[in-house]
Amino acid sequence: MVELSQLHEPTHTITWCPGCGNFSILAALKKAIVDCNLEPHNTVIVSGIGCGGKIPHFIKTYGFESLHGRALAAASGIKLANHKLEVIVVGGDGDGYGIGANHFIHASRRNYDMTYIVQNNQIYGLTTGQASPTSEKSMKTKSTPFGVIEQPINPIALALAAGATFIARGFSGDLTHLSNLISQGIKHKGFAFIDVFQPCVIWNHINTFEYFRKKCYKLEQTDYKPNDKFEAFRKAFETDKLPIGVFYQEQRPTYEDELPQLSTSPLVKQPIDNIDIQKTLEKYL
Amino acid sequence: MSTKLENIVVKFGGEAGEGLMTAGFIAAKYFQRTGLFVFAENDYPSLIRGGHNTFTVRANTEKIYALDGKVDILIALDKRSVLEHINELSANSVVIFDKKLEGELSQIFTNKNIYPVPVPLTQHSAELGDLIYSNQIAIGSLIGLIGGKLEILSTILKEKFSSKKEEILEKNLAAATFGYDFVKMHFKEPFELPIKEQKKNYYLLDGNDAVCLASIKAGVKLVAEYPMSPSSSILHWMAAHSQDYGIVVKQTEDEIAAINYVLGAAYAGVRAMTATSGGGFSLMTEALGNAGLAEIPCVIVEVQRAGPSTGLPTYTDQADLLFVINASQGEFPRIVCMPGDPAEAFYETFNVWNMAELVQTPAIILLDKYLGESFQTVEIKTDNLVVKRGLLQTDQEMENAKQFLRHKITPSGISPRSIPGQKNGLYVASSYEHDESGYSSEDPLNRVMQIDKRARKLSAINPQLYQPVFFGPATAPLLVVSWGSSKGVILEALKHLNRQNIPIRYMHIKYAIPFATDTVKEALVSASKSIIFEGNSTAQMRSYIRQKTGILIENVCLKYDARPFQVEQVVNEIKKLYQSQ
Repeated sequence: MVELSQLHEPTHTITWCPGCGNFSILAALKKAIVDCNLEPHNTVIVSGIGCGGKIPHFIKTYGFESLHGRALAAASGIKLANHKLEVIVVGGDGDGYGIGANHFIHASRRNYDMTYIVQNNQIYGLTTGQASPTSEKSMKTKSTPFGVIEQPINPIALALAAGATFIARGFSGDLTHLSNLISQGIKHKGFAFIDVFQPCVIWNHINTFEYFRKKCYKLEQTDYKPNDKFEAFRKAFETDKLPIGVFYQEQRPTYEDELPQLSTSPLVKQPIDNIDIQKTLEKYL
Repeated sequence: MSTKLENIVVKFGGEAGEGLMTAGFIAAKYFQRTGLFVFAENDYPSLIRGGHNTFTVRANTEKIYALDGKVDILIALDKRSVLEHINELSANSVVIFDKKLEGELSQIFTNKNIYPVPVPLTQHSAELGDLIYSNQIAIGSLIGLIGGKLEILSTILKEKFSSKKEEILEKNLAAATFGYDFVKMHFKEPFELPIKEQKKNYYLLDGNDAVCLASIKAGVKLVAEYPMSPSSSILHWMAAHSQDYGIVVKQTEDEIAAINYVLGAAYAGVRAMTATSGGGFSLMTEALGNAGLAEIPCVIVEVQRAGPSTGLPTYTDQADLLFVINASQGEFPRIVCMPGDPAEAFYETFNVWNMAELVQTPAIILLDKYLGESFQTVEIKTDNLVVKRGLLQTDQEMENAKQFLRHKITPSGISPRSIPGQKNGLYVASSYEHDESGYSSEDPLNRVMQIDKRARKLSAINPQLYQPVFFGPATAPLLVVSWGSSKGVILEALKHLNRQNIPIRYMHIKYAIPFATDTVKEALVSASKSIIFEGNSTAQMRSYIRQKTGILIENVCLKYDARPFQVEQVVNEIKKLYQSQ
């Protein structure tokens, strides 16, 4: 059994701002790892760049802190090389819905067995406060002093359209609920996507803890069933009140399942020291 | 009486989509099977149907390295092919063409010393049910005109169409037989080519396939690629062989994804590669630096096409050398290898895999369209190829590891490497500068130590592995220098110069990084004159050599019309320089 203390990185100072929504995402993730009993040496946390991208340094597992926007691509390579590993990807809204949006769409449709957590604070934090793909229309930021003109991305609807098989939303102000969603995501066989409302206490004065506490409600406390894609789309576009919980889940074979190359053992376990190419070479005679 | 030939050049011309490339390749294979040495080159525009394509095959009883000499037999599948290539024909040449064009073309032929061979290509292929069979009729005719053996051609066709329906194979065989019989019946046999025993270990390979074969031998397990001419045949080849060799081949959403898949997979412990051309490589440059900083070994194949921008997608160039040497921000070690022919592409690719893992850094194999897609008979032996994985730790080694430091400062700069799944090896591979453990660090002292550590690693590569290759007498006053695919044309040019008693020393540079500075310097110093041949407009290797050695090669011959060098041009340039002494 893995214990919480084993995941602790005592020498790495957490550099987030006091009150940052990332602290509870980190705590929720650690709790989920314990609850799912994941072995640290068989777990890889992959991140992109941004405030939340630092997360692999704060949990004692294997980690890959990729380039800005590229976490899902790197994670896909890791999963294909060794599909027995538990791969958890964490990144911000700029990372996943802006620069890395293409990878998000394609990882969703491929249905790799991994969990993708987006720390969605609707702002660029580490680069000191520019508009993000989820910044609300009219929001004033350093890069949009006269207000954001375009519509924000709807991550839930995007994931639904792209074909993710587990789609949820959490709120970093509700650690237990969020941790439970992450656990469900880890246990889900396929691409599990969890968008997390994560207030940035420095740069975003609209989407605050207070704001979300007033607006969020839990889907599981209603009679909503997350098994209908069209209903899920309807839910994804609710804005007066903001649903959190599981929007949609389906079972579909993963990308790895469909590869006969992986049926006996992970690629990394297959010996490479004496591969015979003679038969193929002879086609060139 | 037919003329006995030791060398033949056959050119196929026609529209894209007529199966001309396949036909040309079958002819090349025929010569290969008759024990001759073959070189074959294609030329095609960036479109799928129409346009004008050519495929030119040269066969010789001795080793050859490039096309050389006039066309002996032109197989013109349309009128344009006759009009465009009539001036490339040798004296006493043959043109095989469609009988229905006889009226239009007879005038053109009368003034030249050409032996016209009209064959009812379209008429008979239509009878077989598809115009595509014109190609096989033409090849059958070709084999008939050179005293060839139909059985050898039939065997090749059977192999080629073995996966197709029985009927398709039958029709192809019928078409070839018809062409063969038709010329036997109606025409004299103008040429006779020797038929020899096929040599052991000699294969007809192009550069791209050579890279694939070597990578499979080296144990590649993941290939991630986005299609881009002229590298796409690597993606196709790998995908076709993925189940045979247990490798995962992923066509990704873009080149950025491809290289990041590779980084992830390599970090997780498998040999992983991508292939692209200059445009795709441009998109990969940021991740190239990530591989350098995080010390992730991987292989990137860059098959150059004529740039910049979209450029000329299906034409060749050698203009990305300084780009791949310098690509990505910051400083980190990388390997840059420029093979000169398919055999070198095979052996150096295998070596590069070992080098990349030894020094835990990215390696770039720089080909170009000309090398990537031209076929050559080369000798390949796989006996002494040993996979070496450097300091990659085994599960057993990690079982008792204590205080594992992934980026530990060592005298060689190389640190033991753990992979996920191994106990006691936990670390974060980071795109940030980091300390020995992998934790992000902005400390100035640590920064210098990590930069120096990474830079030291290249010294661990055995210098014997990256030396230039020399041809000709070391005492020759004139030194010819080139890199990459120009090798073949220059070797052919040396044959001419040799016959004219012009002594030349030739230095072919295979590696830009690591660079054999001392050897190159010594060769330049000991020559009284030197000339460099490059397929770019700014003499990039000349600049690089000057940067590394302080020596300026005084003479340059540059070709940047997006076509490979021609033997005649190289001979003339060298002779001019020789005579000016």
